[in-house]
Amino acid sequence: MSDPLYSIGIDLGTTNSALAYVSLADEAPTVELLEIPQMTTATVAEHRPLLPSFLYLPTDVEREGGALQLSSVKQASGVVGQFARAQSADVPTRTVAAAKSWLCHSGVDRHQAILPWNAPEDVGKVSPVAASALYLRHLADAWNQHHPEAPFKQQQVTLTVPASFDASARDLTREAAVIAGFPADFILLEEPQAALYAWLAHRGEEWRKELHVGDMILVCDVGGGTTDFTLIAVEDRDGDLELSRLAVGNHILVGGDNMDLTLAFTVQELFKEQGHTLDAWQSVSLWHACRLAKEALLAPDGPESHPVTILGRGSKVIGGSLSVELHRDVAQKTLLEGFLPPCEITDKPQKRPASGFKQLGLPYESDTAITRHLARFLAGHTQTDAAAAKRPTHLLFNGGVFKSAALKERVRSFFEQWFPGEEAPASLSGSEDLDFSVARGAAQYGRIKQAGGVRIRGGTARAYYIGIETAGLAVPGAPRPLHALCVVPHGMEEGTSIQVPSEEIGLVVGEPMHFRFFSSARRVHDQPGLLLTRWDEDDLQETDSLEAELPAAANAEGGYVPVRIETHVTELGVLECWCASTVSDERWKLEFSVREN
Amino acid sequence: MSLSLAIKTFFRTIRDKSFAADLSAWLERPAPVLPKPSPAPRRTAAIELLATLQREGRLVDFLQESIDGYSDAQIGAAVRDIHRDCSQALDRLFGLQSLRAEAEGESVELPATRDPGAWKLTGRVDSEASQGILRHHGWTLTRHELPAWTGSDDAAWIVAPAEVEIS
Repeated sequence: MSDPLYSIGIDLGTTNSALAYVSLADEAPTVELLEIPQMTTATVAEHRPLLPSFLYLPTDVEREGGALQLSSVKQASGVVGQFARAQSADVPTRTVAAAKSWLCHSGVDRHQAILPWNAPEDVGKVSPVAASALYLRHLADAWNQHHPEAPFKQQQVTLTVPASFDASARDLTREAAVIAGFPADFILLEEPQAALYAWLAHRGEEWRKELHVGDMILVCDVGGGTTDFTLIAVEDRDGDLELSRLAVGNHILVGGDNMDLTLAFTVQELFKEQGHTLDAWQSVSLWHACRLAKEALLAPDGPESHPVTILGRGSKVIGGSLSVELHRDVAQKTLLEGFLPPCEITDKPQKRPASGFKQLGLPYESDTAITRHLARFLAGHTQTDAAAAKRPTHLLFNGGVFKSAALKERVRSFFEQWFPGEEAPASLSGSEDLDFSVARGAAQYGRIKQAGGVRIRGGTARAYYIGIETAGLAVPGAPRPLHALCVVPHGMEEGTSIQVPSEEIGLVVGEPMHFRFFSSARRVHDQPGLLLTRWDEDDLQETDSLEAELPAAANAEGGYVPVRIETHVTELGVLECWCASTVSDERWKLEFSVREN
Repeated sequence: MSLSLAIKTFFRTIRDKSFAADLSAWLERPAPVLPKPSPAPRRTAAIELLATLQREGRLVDFLQESIDGYSDAQIGAAVRDIHRDCSQALDRLFGLQSLRAEAEGESVELPATRDPGAWKLTGRVDSEASQGILRHHGWTLTRHELPAWTGSDDAAWIVAPAEVEIS
């Protein structure tokens, strides 16, 4: 294989995807964005830097009509991109949206064709993995079309995932990328880290003047559908500055789309007062209009009110248009109180059952207060001790939500309240390209891997545990108590292995063995071999079970083989669990049994 | 009918001199002018631009609608949206930029040879003039990226498809 010519960074987003690239040959190259060819209507193809992560599944008539074609999607089961996004409003039962959120939803089998969720039977549904693979394939094909001289499979490719993705969601993302024809040695990078790489690249060597040993950076990434927090410390290593990822937050399914939707509900009520009930098509225009109104009204010197207009649907664009004035205080109250309400550093997100905008299927957060999730993240273990909470010295914002400066300022203002007497964290500003910084940062990261430069050390974002049923007297009607054995500590570095010290575990021969599998982003001090007998439900989350099957012919006494667990994080960041026999040299890999759910 | 007419005409032409002259003139008349067949529909850049402005900014709907019956406030509310969306589309397709960087009202130097496509001179125009006051800064494209049409020839002249909702 020839040496890669480019480092390619791909941001596979919940609502939008992007591809950035940078030359590996040039001395001082600039990061470019790939203009991605895609259908924008049923009969028009255009190039756009963003590829909406939507998939439209056409009817047979449309498929035969022939217009719905782009060289890159000819073979695929559907159409990806801007057209599919528009169709999600017009033809929701044939449009796959938010496949990425399904990818990390361990309540469903992500290899099964379940999307679009709730679609009628005659729609040829696809699985979350297959949909993600189609988006990635579209990007890879677009690259090959633009750069025939540098085949995608031979480039240095970095794909980003949320820091909050657990090992099984990362595995599924990797699987989708392999289906899409990614090179075998592509790297998974956490999105908040990519955002920081983008900032570092933007500042050049200047960053060493801006950050000092002991500083702590909070990356606050609020995307369309998810919120992701990461803490990165600036440390001293042999007299040089080094960045080290300390902690990542749990997966929080609340984001900018929730804000726009909430504002749209408010405005819809205003229209109702005028006697107008909006149909589905109008609701979508309303959603869009509300996003623009949000940015205008929340601006520091924003107007007192902003008109929200929905143009007539038929050819009578003025005659059919509806308009209301949205007042600044209403918008502020709805958004700031709903999503960024004041709270104490010791507050926890509230668990309420249903909320106003719950889409069936995905486990959306019941508490939309991003501030409470943030407080919980910073307070960590020390749920009652405000003084022990982590205090970031710098903030890096990412995600389209923070195009509104007011929201950035609002987040910053809480730190004065949470840490009285301390200076509020400084904003790391510079690259204001919030839609693309993750893709750009990913491309930079690939270049750093090849050419050298400052890297963020981190290792695994979570600690992992295997659930072990305790042997003991069975109590009728009560499940056996479950213990959790720590097999991967938080921060286990790439390219290292651990033999987990524990009692021998009996592995039955000839039939699949299931292990319940847990992860924790918060228990950062647990060492491999530690056996937890009880834990806080917030601390440990169950993910897909692990499975191993030993061939029945294995030389075993009494129908089982005594094993110990070994874990390994590959150079590419893939977590592997192995069962190693204590009586022979045999080893069996534990695989995620996501198909079994 | 044709045969009997041909026989009648044959005999009358022999007998009747004036009929023969008329018939001869009629046969030599110039062929009637038929309307030219229209060219096969083709998707041109102009149609694509019109379709884009309609699709993204509802421009055709707006221009085709009679605005006589509406109040200025009603028109104003809708036009804000149309204006925003059309200008975004134009910016994306053409990247419109001022041709001259100088402010309007300022003095500008004129080059010795000026392309009439780039300079429109007014007032006391003579070829010796080397400067003047900029009245309009002009516009220029910085890119030209029209969407690609993938539809059928039959639909080539269609600016916006009919929308039908199936319930």
